[in-house]
Amino acid sequence: MQGQATQIIHAYKQAPWRVQRQWIGAFLLIVIGGAMIAALYLDVTARAAVAGREIQELRLEITRIQRENADLETQLADLTSTAAMRQRAAALGYRPVKPGELDYVAVPGFFKPEPDILLAAEDRTPRVETQPTEYTQSLLEWFDERIELGGARVP
Amino acid sequence: MRQQYAVRSLIIVACFVLVGLGVIVQMIRIQNSEAAMIFLLQGDRYAGEFQMFYPERGEIYDRNGHLLAGNRTVYEVGVSLSEMENPDSMSYILGTYLGLTYDEVYKKLTGSPESWEYIVIQDYVGAETVAALQQLLQQLEDADDPRLSGLAFKPHLQRSYPEKDLASNVLGFVTRDGRGYFGIEEKYNDLLAGHPVQIWVPRDPNKASEIPRVPNGTTLVLTLNRDLQAKVETILDQALVDYGAQNGTILVMDPRNGDILAMAATPRMDLNNYGNYFSLYDNGSQYNRAIGMAYEPGSVFKVLTMAAALDVGTVRPETTFIDTGSIQVGGITIQNWNRESWGQQNMVGCLQHSLNVCLAWISSEMGVQSFYSYMERFGLGHATGIDLAGEAIGRLKVPGDGDWYPVDLGTNAFGQGVSVTPLQMLTAVSAIANDGRMVTPHMLYAMLRDGHQYNVPSQYAGSPISAETAHTLNDMLAISLEQESSLALLPGYRLAGKTGTAQIPTDYGYDVSRTNVSFVGWGPVDDPQFMVYIWLQTPTTSIWSSETAAPVFSQVAEQTVIVLNIPPDVVRGQLISK
Repeated sequence: MQGQATQIIHAYKQAPWRVQRQWIGAFLLIVIGGAMIAALYLDVTARAAVAGREIQELRLEITRIQRENADLETQLADLTSTAAMRQRAAALGYRPVKPGELDYVAVPGFFKPEPDILLAAEDRTPRVETQPTEYTQSLLEWFDERIELGGARVP
Repeated sequence: MRQQYAVRSLIIVACFVLVGLGVIVQMIRIQNSEAAMIFLLQGDRYAGEFQMFYPERGEIYDRNGHLLAGNRTVYEVGVSLSEMENPDSMSYILGTYLGLTYDEVYKKLTGSPESWEYIVIQDYVGAETVAALQQLLQQLEDADDPRLSGLAFKPHLQRSYPEKDLASNVLGFVTRDGRGYFGIEEKYNDLLAGHPVQIWVPRDPNKASEIPRVPNGTTLVLTLNRDLQAKVETILDQALVDYGAQNGTILVMDPRNGDILAMAATPRMDLNNYGNYFSLYDNGSQYNRAIGMAYEPGSVFKVLTMAAALDVGTVRPETTFIDTGSIQVGGITIQNWNRESWGQQNMVGCLQHSLNVCLAWISSEMGVQSFYSYMERFGLGHATGIDLAGEAIGRLKVPGDGDWYPVDLGTNAFGQGVSVTPLQMLTAVSAIANDGRMVTPHMLYAMLRDGHQYNVPSQYAGSPISAETAHTLNDMLAISLEQESSLALLPGYRLAGKTGTAQIPTDYGYDVSRTNVSFVGWGPVDDPQFMVYIWLQTPTTSIWSSETAAPVFSQVAEQTVIVLNIPPDVVRGQLISK
């Protein structure tokens, strides 16, 4: 009885249609694996492409805003130039002061302030010192990195 | 039958294998051929482009943060030739908006080589014009009208000067190629311009390269006080009209640290239209007469001679001199300005009446070695080192020079035969107003870069005289001014100063009908906070400094004490005592 069962199992394993199916299965597995890797690669590269385009657009935007800032600052300086301020003061009925018309008051603890222009020192230079690797890394490079890190989570 | 199929199958497989091998061999051959290298290079060439990233030129501020030189957006108007459909209407419209003729634009649009994709019609077009063109373009596009198709605008920055001609002689200007000329713009061109960065920019967004860090040019803060500069320029302009002078310059400096608070000179020009340069100036030295033109200063020089004589001990304030109206030096007779004798004088009287004979006697008593040694220590014949482009150094002839004669010892003592710039005189005299220490004049107060402000420390150019000598002469010149030149005085403030009237040297001797008038003064005498130097060229209403430069000094001093918040002496004493 036990020998018969063994024979049937052996015959089943040796059946030509089963061997053929195993080959087909293995082939399909390879195809599906390849397709998955290709899809993943496509997804990553597509996202990198979009990010790259966004970076380029942001760079243009930064340049535009910088230009606009410089422009507005100069426009403001135009509006507050000496000649413009003199005209506006005269139109409002002001006239230059004379020395005898000034009163000086002693304010305890007051010191004449030194010129301080730090407001203008604000750094407006856009800086991207390092671009995240997600934007430039290929799938293979990502795999390499993971293998080197031994599966540790990349911060 | 089965075997026959097998043979056929093998033949077909063999064919496919051969074809496959052929393809592989061909691929390898092509990839390693010479043509492949050319294709690769072509591919690389079109894979991206080198782009130059120019930093924004640094701004220039006055000491109180008022913008003197900034940047504004202008546009390059161009046409993409492959997209252009109607050159006729394009030429007409662009010609109308850009102030060009139809033919000019049409020639550019149709006469360019076929390989050209894009052509610039006009650069540095203002924002208003471009806004109007953009509006028209939008309207046409909405109506599917292709008359302006291909029109493009590329914005970029251009140097702009909101104060127009204010301090133009100090600032200099920047041409369209981005290079600074004259003044601050030239002296600090490298700092202001920054460093352009060239990088390869791939067209493939997958290869989006890192954004280059292009730091803006360094922003500069000057020691100038914009309000004082404006007032001084107004006074100078009015002085030229009032006294019929050809040109002039006025300097205001803080004698304690060498900060130049105002530097006015004529003629000035609107820096936004620097193309006027050639119609205003014959040569570069005229651009800023305060530093670029040397002249014989006349009697203001007596201050230096007296300082040297007091310091070396040749004379004291009470030393008497009998003025006979003339003196022989090196075999040549030297006379006073009015060719008269003034009798017994002390040293205050010599300064007060500006006696050439007295000062020639003093320099003779000092001797050649001592006199010229002091003049060297005052920095004469050397650049002051001010941070402005185009400084002249003047000329101090010394014994041993081929054109030095013994009489020069006498004439140099009262400012003849020696040439200086107004700034050199101001720097030398600063020793008297600053306890014997001579300052190095400078324009730069601070630099702003990457969010940090770097203040520029003051520098001293030596101590040609002692503090005691400086105090003594300070007092002598205050008394002299009070008694001699009342037009220079300012009520409420004790000031010190000296007039200078110099005949103009020509190839045939001195022209007695034309003079250069100067004035150097400072105040308040007990705590000097400002120094003023005035030079008016060939005034016509009067040839005398006491009637022209002296009242101008008073006006400048009046405005200076207001702008710098310097109370009258009495009030200042009360405030200090509190």
